[in-house]
Amino acid sequence: MTDQDLDQTIRRMAQTPLSRRGFLWASGLSASAAFLAACGPGASSSASTAPSAAAPSTEGSEAPSASPSAEAVVVEKELLMYNWGDYVDPDNMKAFQEQFGVEKFTYDTFASNDEMMAKFQGGAKGQWDISAPTANFVPAMRDQGFIQKLDLPHVPNASLIDSAFKKQWWDPTDEWQLPKDWGTTGITLRTKVVKEDVKTWKQFFELAPKYTGKIVVVDSPDDVFVAPLKALGYSLNSADPKELEEARGLLMGLAPHVLALDSDQYNTKIATEEAVMGLTWTGGILELRDDPKTADTVYLIPEDGTVFWMDTWVVLADAPHPNAANAFLNFILTPEVQAKETMTNQYATCSSAAKAFIDPKMLADPAIFVPDDVLAKLEGQKDNSGIKQRAEIYEEFKSKIGQG
Amino acid sequence: MATTSEAVPVRPTRPPRSFRSGALTTLLVLPASLWYLILLVLPLAIVVVMSFGLQGKFGGYAPGFTLDNYASAFERLTPFTTSLILAFAGTILCLLAALPMAYFIATRAGSRKSLFIVLLVVPFWTSFLIRTYAWLTILGPDGLGGFIGDAIGDSSFRILGTPWAVLIGVVYGYLPLMIFPIYVTLERMDRTLVEASKDLGAGRWSTFRQITLPIILPGLITGSILVFIPLMGEYVIPAILGYGRVFLVGNQLVLQFLESRNWPEGAARAVVLILIMLVSIIFYLWFANRGRKTREVSVI
Repeated sequence: MTDQDLDQTIRRMAQTPLSRRGFLWASGLSASAAFLAACGPGASSSASTAPSAAAPSTEGSEAPSASPSAEAVVVEKELLMYNWGDYVDPDNMKAFQEQFGVEKFTYDTFASNDEMMAKFQGGAKGQWDISAPTANFVPAMRDQGFIQKLDLPHVPNASLIDSAFKKQWWDPTDEWQLPKDWGTTGITLRTKVVKEDVKTWKQFFELAPKYTGKIVVVDSPDDVFVAPLKALGYSLNSADPKELEEARGLLMGLAPHVLALDSDQYNTKIATEEAVMGLTWTGGILELRDDPKTADTVYLIPEDGTVFWMDTWVVLADAPHPNAANAFLNFILTPEVQAKETMTNQYATCSSAAKAFIDPKMLADPAIFVPDDVLAKLEGQKDNSGIKQRAEIYEEFKSKIGQG
Repeated sequence: MATTSEAVPVRPTRPPRSFRSGALTTLLVLPASLWYLILLVLPLAIVVVMSFGLQGKFGGYAPGFTLDNYASAFERLTPFTTSLILAFAGTILCLLAALPMAYFIATRAGSRKSLFIVLLVVPFWTSFLIRTYAWLTILGPDGLGGFIGDAIGDSSFRILGTPWAVLIGVVYGYLPLMIFPIYVTLERMDRTLVEASKDLGAGRWSTFRQITLPIILPGLITGSILVFIPLMGEYVIPAILGYGRVFLVGNQLVLQFLESRNWPEGAARAVVLILIMLVSIIFYLWFANRGRKTREVSVI
């Protein structure tokens, strides 16, 4: 079309009055475009509202206390969750929605506790109903008014939590959180490539230059500090400036050899052999063992010690849908649902009642259900967020990844 | 040297304004001024005030006055220099890629002009984050990265996590921003000037250099600024395609605001970033416009 043609066309278009049909057609088009855009994949994935067949073990389960005791409670039609990525079984989410008529289940994610804390400090009250921080962050959340006391009469299944996980330092009265699962941070290896007999964090650091560019580390300051402090024989909660400086030395030596800091996709990187050594959790790793292509994957708890962490459910202050939150907490603690969570997420449950429904092979797996003698040697996590030196070291570590 | 029709300015004489027209002007300008004041000046002022403050007990901001934040910002300038280098490289690559494309669409596309424009716009309908994630597959071990690795026989060859992956992502994401201003100026250019130049015996390259280039210069400037400024603050592409290994100011700021929760230090770095960009843009505008015989600085 030449310039003159374009000119004439535009002139003609300007002179034609807009008919009702034209207007309706144009608005219909824009409306459907906007609708498509809104329905498109966004940062928060809403679980589909179309009910599909849930796993038989959870469908219509009349397990003990499947619904909250007070029948007068009306469960809202929406639940807003702020959680780690892929941390609730999607089948359980669907089953919950079906059972309680919750039409919209929004699942927003964060990659680390610090990111979550920063969000709340930036003023995110009332934006979500439930979150799942790691236990050592609960006191800080409570002190800053981010969470509210649990409505325990409406969560009768809370009694199914093992007493070993109650009355901990982060919540002595057990009023602010419910244990979700627990686990360790350890070394993951592709033994096909890493032929050395790696058993300690010390070896992890020593082997780093050999496997440079093929090491993946979770993006979590608390977990990253476990490795150097334990390799040096210190407490992983150390606040001693000298000890932290020594840890800095080890971390800066590691940084150039790290492929990436990744809390979500470290298992994919291990699976494709982009990384052959990792400082990771067990989620996503253990299923690699069952796949013949990646059966050489190994997760080990280092002998120089590591952390025993626990993730907890909390109800956020100003939660817009408290009844749905309580219904969800109660639902997720029913034994069959808990068992499915454990089997999908590959982290140990805090409720023995669920063990009856868990695959015996998983129950016997020492990487998930750590035997008591090993458990006794693990160290719990304290609230280290106030130690500025740690934050500064981690910042420097992160900025030097893969450089030099 | 070719001059455009607006090349010789005449000081415009303005008629004296009545009070009523003054009030009317104020009223018309009010919405935009309020918008700028509340959504631009105020947040900027907050950031500057914050940059002199102290870190709160749990992180965040606590009132106070200290210059430590700026001291530590200048201590570690590496993210700034990396960002500058990436922004320059990205802008130049976009320029080199966009110019032929815009030229083709404006002059050679003929009846398919609108089709090409639509094709350029359609990707914007998809979330930028999703498109960046798509590049993970394209450049990853199951895609181009693995293909090249197998071809050269190096099993540890990797595109992702290198500055090249970041550059590819940057050019992909910012190319339309560069194409459109250049396309618009080419569209508006009087094609007969080119014909006249050829009639007078100039070759294709001389015509381009002496006729076309000066005319489309405002478009090139606008496109470069549209690409350079956001590129300086880019975070998503280096975080995803660069695996966080290409550490830019954007990554640094996210780290400080979202993880270390040291807002005053983050604010100080943000202010330094803004100053760097201001200086760069002013210098760039002066440099690009010094050849023009007009008093006006033209940004399209």
